[in-house]
Amino acid sequence: MKKLLSLVLALAMVLSMACITTASAAEITDLRTWETTSRELETWNIQKSQAAQDLNVLCNLFDGLLTNDASGALVGNAAKEWSTPDGGKTWTFVLNDGMKWVDKDGNEKADVVAQDWLTGLEWVLNFAKNDSYNVSMPNDMIVGAKEYYDYTKQLTEEQGEEAALALTADGKFAELVKVTAPDDKTIVYECLDAMTYFPSVATYNCLYPLSAKLIEEIGVAGYEAITWENMWYNGPYVVQSFIHQNEKVLVANPNYWNAEGVKRFNSVSIKMVESVDTAYQLFYNGELDHVQPSQATLTTIYNDKNHEFNKNLVEARPTKYSYQMHLVYDVNNLDGTPYTDWNTAVANKNFRLALYYGMDMTPYLARTNAINPLSCQNYAYTGNAVAVNSQGIDYTQLVRDELGLQYDYNTYVRYDAEKAAQYKAAAIEELTAKGVKLPVNMVYYIKGDSQTAMDSAQTLAQVIADGLGEDLVKLEIRTYISSLTNEVRVPQYNCLFINGWGADFADPVNFLGQETYNDPAAYYSNNYSMINKATDPDLIATYEEFTRLVNEAKAITDDNDARYAAFAKAEAYFIENALTIPASYEVAWELTCINPYSKVYSAYGIQAYRYVNWETNDQIYTTEEIAALAK
Amino acid sequence: MAKYILKRLLQSLLTVLLVVTLVFLLMRLMPTDYFFTEDELMKLTEEQKHDRLLASGLLDHPLKQLADYFKGIFTEGDLGVSRRIQANQPVTKVIGSKFSISMELGLKALGISLVIGVIFGVLQARYKDGILDAVGTAYTVFVNAVPSLVTYSLILAFGSRVLGLPSMFTMRKPGPSSILPMVCLSIGSIAGYMLWTRRYMVDELNKDYIRLAKLKGLSTRSVMYRHVLKNAFVPLAQYLPYSILLTVGGSLLVERFFSVPGMGPLLTDAIARYDLNVVQGVVLLYATLGILGVFLGDLLMSLIDPRIRLTNKGATR
Repeated sequence: MKKLLSLVLALAMVLSMACITTASAAEITDLRTWETTSRELETWNIQKSQAAQDLNVLCNLFDGLLTNDASGALVGNAAKEWSTPDGGKTWTFVLNDGMKWVDKDGNEKADVVAQDWLTGLEWVLNFAKNDSYNVSMPNDMIVGAKEYYDYTKQLTEEQGEEAALALTADGKFAELVKVTAPDDKTIVYECLDAMTYFPSVATYNCLYPLSAKLIEEIGVAGYEAITWENMWYNGPYVVQSFIHQNEKVLVANPNYWNAEGVKRFNSVSIKMVESVDTAYQLFYNGELDHVQPSQATLTTIYNDKNHEFNKNLVEARPTKYSYQMHLVYDVNNLDGTPYTDWNTAVANKNFRLALYYGMDMTPYLARTNAINPLSCQNYAYTGNAVAVNSQGIDYTQLVRDELGLQYDYNTYVRYDAEKAAQYKAAAIEELTAKGVKLPVNMVYYIKGDSQTAMDSAQTLAQVIADGLGEDLVKLEIRTYISSLTNEVRVPQYNCLFINGWGADFADPVNFLGQETYNDPAAYYSNNYSMINKATDPDLIATYEEFTRLVNEAKAITDDNDARYAAFAKAEAYFIENALTIPASYEVAWELTCINPYSKVYSAYGIQAYRYVNWETNDQIYTTEEIAALAK
Repeated sequence: MAKYILKRLLQSLLTVLLVVTLVFLLMRLMPTDYFFTEDELMKLTEEQKHDRLLASGLLDHPLKQLADYFKGIFTEGDLGVSRRIQANQPVTKVIGSKFSISMELGLKALGISLVIGVIFGVLQARYKDGILDAVGTAYTVFVNAVPSLVTYSLILAFGSRVLGLPSMFTMRKPGPSSILPMVCLSIGSIAGYMLWTRRYMVDELNKDYIRLAKLKGLSTRSVMYRHVLKNAFVPLAQYLPYSILLTVGGSLLVERFFSVPGMGPLLTDAIARYDLNVVQGVVLLYATLGILGVFLGDLLMSLIDPRIRLTNKGATR
């Protein structure tokens, strides 16, 4: 009897374990996700949108030419193949068969044809139709795009909006812009120069399709005011309902051309919540499938070993932004006179290197990631996963190799007290000789109503004081009211900006091209570092050498490996001279039923929120499970 | 009376137009930098910014813009289109999709507040200095002393975790999901109605005619309901139409907190996004409702209390 009882119990245990295993392996079919109310979708017009909150939704409703996979690699989407016959000057994309435009109910409206990409680009470049949104990249890359944009702008000014609104992808557009559709399945773009990274631009919404038949149906004014109810979809999902500031429900497109090729949810509900704390409340109540808890909640969960979510905390993958401490080389006092002490100090290489080596950023990184601060360590300027060479090595690894700085998850490796002391002593001697009053105040502005920014700034001030003492430099925290640009950047009051920069396409020039000397297109040089206004000859010579290295790298268009190696050399030179100081990456913590390593991982473009091929679990993943999945 | 109503309506129309004009011009005094997001301010060149402003018509003279705006209103009832709240959608559609939700929630909450608030206020006055009065006063003090967001958080936690109610408003289940927002909307107004009902009733109870009624042998119940409550309700009634009409405006805090897609946060969102047409549309609506509410309050007061004559010199508000 005992044996029988034991057998029955053992059987019951095995069955129950099997049940548990089955239950934990069950995938979510109806995803419940969230967004804060301050990030509500503003437009359904994908040609016009530039906001992440719009594009996070719209990228699910439309298929562009290419997308990214979970590792960040470019993969086909509407295009099944792409190639260049001439080293990147001309790019040809060949579309998949059987793609359809459908309405919100999934009813077929038209075939997706190559001409739709021309119609889409015409809309983007037409001043009267798209109000200059999304024109920068096509204007900078495609032959004739800038000319067509200028033509439509002039036409609007001279003959009124109606004349420009009447234009189509035929006529003047076809005459000026070198984008052609030789047949229904082929699109050919001619670039201004050899651009090996152009395919990555094909993930971005400036090159998304628009059906001319839709424009015929609803008119230009109709498309300007397009909504989810009357637009046409060619992506994996259609919109079932949209309640502004409440909820969006996407459902799988029943006529999706690639229904067999990708895994989709039956539905995705995007709930609008007031704050992350409200989102956590909903997650706690089982009404959401993932959440990134606020710092306070995260700390509570982490420190309480008995907390029900303590074993479920997982680190998210880094976002696409690379944060830098941008030094400003031409700063003014509040009365508009030059801040000479700072301008002299920052031009001094020893001063910059003392800062570079003298900051153990670990406490500052803990402001972003309190549990594993060193997950946020960043020693390069370019973001992670922007470019990968033919050996599969991430470009930032090439930079770190040049710098001799490899990630260490126990110590912040850039910090070198000995070197910092040497550079500090040299800086004090040289700056004193130049009559600079020490310590020099490094003015740093934060938003006045942000306690988070204040706490981070104070941490940074402490990091600097701990590493360098208070006899060379002190962080002076000031506040602005609403606009950093208008109140601080334009009048040049800041000595330091800490900014995140994300790539628009897959090439280091996205980052380094912003810092070159005397280049009107170099965004950071002209708007942040103000290097073009600096007068110190040594500093200018350093920037000129960096610019020469960047230009050398840019000129390599036939060999990506050589190009990336040359860029890495330029970037290392930039960092070794501490012209800017790498600060951090963003790595948050989350509670989730979604495997973060199955999601699209994109360091550029708009693809990161596509709800395709996501692996999920109807139970919250544990820390160990995600750690295993990460390998 | 008809002459008085016509005069007040014309005054009201003029006031609304003045308010809208003032707001229109004040918004144009804001630097056009607010037209752009901080991200756009950082990334756009001066030429690109100029192009955007040109395309939006904001570089025209403000008086020309104002003339076009009023022309649109008076000829086509057109309040323009939203720029960012719901890009290129008519302002009437943006507002229309929201105000019915706010109004429905608000009216229900107002009804609950009125019934509970007035009844408790009467009981507090009736049993002044008793336990009920102390409980009511404690409630009023608590509601006014504790910050609203703390109260809402407590209600949310209790309602969702203990009672199992939905934590967020959803149009798919408007009934159950509107319970917590309605409780939060009512909780403050109940305290208000309790406080004022009690105060006006206590005032009335101390008047000579009440003493006389009591001396004449009228029952307490009769005194309380036929005389005291009726007279005490007159000042409350004056604000009733105003309160009813302003339910359209929703509640910024409650609607934000429970993700109710109503009117509450619309004005602040529109200002923050430099969505001028929506700002003007909402201001036009609020000004109209506010002025109409006061006007209807005056009329209602004169209907309830015949001693009040609106047309007599010095009697109008």
